[in-house]
Amino acid sequence: MAAELRLMIPTQEPVEPDDRQLVQTIRQGDTEAFELLVRRKTSKVYALCYRIIGNAEDAKDISQLVFIKLWENLEKYDPQYAFDTWLYRMVTNVAIDFMRNKQSRDNAVNSNLRLVKTSFDAEQGVVVQRKEVENVFNEVATVLSPKQKTIFVMNQMDDMPSSEIAKVLGCRESTVRNHLFNARKLMQQQLQKRFPEYARLWSER
Amino acid sequence: MISCVTFRNAFAPGTESAEVLQHVRVCDACLDHAAGIDPDIMFRALGGENLVPPGGVDAFVDDVMREVRLRSTEQTLAGRRGMLLSWPRRIAVAATLAAGLSGALMVWQHDKNGVAVPSAMTARSAAIPTRLTTKPVIESYDSANATIVEVPSEANDTKIVMIFDESLPADL
Repeated sequence: MAAELRLMIPTQEPVEPDDRQLVQTIRQGDTEAFELLVRRKTSKVYALCYRIIGNAEDAKDISQLVFIKLWENLEKYDPQYAFDTWLYRMVTNVAIDFMRNKQSRDNAVNSNLRLVKTSFDAEQGVVVQRKEVENVFNEVATVLSPKQKTIFVMNQMDDMPSSEIAKVLGCRESTVRNHLFNARKLMQQQLQKRFPEYARLWSER
Repeated sequence: MISCVTFRNAFAPGTESAEVLQHVRVCDACLDHAAGIDPDIMFRALGGENLVPPGGVDAFVDDVMREVRLRSTEQTLAGRRGMLLSWPRRIAVAATLAAGLSGALMVWQHDKNGVAVPSAMTARSAAIPTRLTTKPVIESYDSANATIVEVPSEANDTKIVMIFDESLPADL
């Protein structure tokens, strides 16, 4: 009987506030709410930064910069738009800026990119190793412009549709599709040049 | 998460299914299988959400919050400084300083240029006859060597006569 009664009483679990509610609380000066928001978004922000930048330490620094900018600009957020879209826009802007600066620095010192040796063995057939794919991606994606790479990462790895990417970047959907097409083409060329074994796999669709 | 069998049955080139993509991101065997059918899955399998910053999420969040608190404190202090020295106050302080400085400069210039002034003043003050008494003088008599002054006494009946004679001995 007691067990039945217990089952009938609804348990009151604390409901986590959604992003908009959190932002509202943060705007009233609650730093703990901001900490909760940072904790909630760290993985997403860091992963996107890492995929775009391709370096863990730089990605960490850029992610931290994004959150600090977020704190300083939270007043500008319009709650009628999705918070993630606004956050992603901030991430892409900061990451693209970083990539552009990094590219100009790299060009200045004329650094040569190190080719990753793959452990691919043609005799054993196609063995896809995750870390290896990651290295290949980081290598071939160096030919992409920061914007192309950002769009490719958001679409391919974050499964974001073109319409959402267009919202994040503030451009037209056709522009996003165009960038995606060019990115795939450039990467295909790089694969053929550097990793022919992967190029056979990754054919242009 | 779907099983490997379900995945292999459900997988088709160009799939957008979240379940299929989630599976391929954690299962190496199915990734090998899928890459043979749709090579495009290769880079998609890298995914984007399961990454953690170096040092872990806790350390990352701590770093961010430390920086945020530091900036907040700086902003608060900057605000207070701004309140203490608002524009009208700044102008008032500047005006006071300017007045003080110009006053000091004038005094300095006055001292510097007016070295002769004290001597002139001394000469002028020497020309003024020395008043010997504060009492009203009833009558005074002057000769070549002596001066005789009659002044009223405290009582009305007596008059005091003072004689100043330079020719007389000092101990008279």
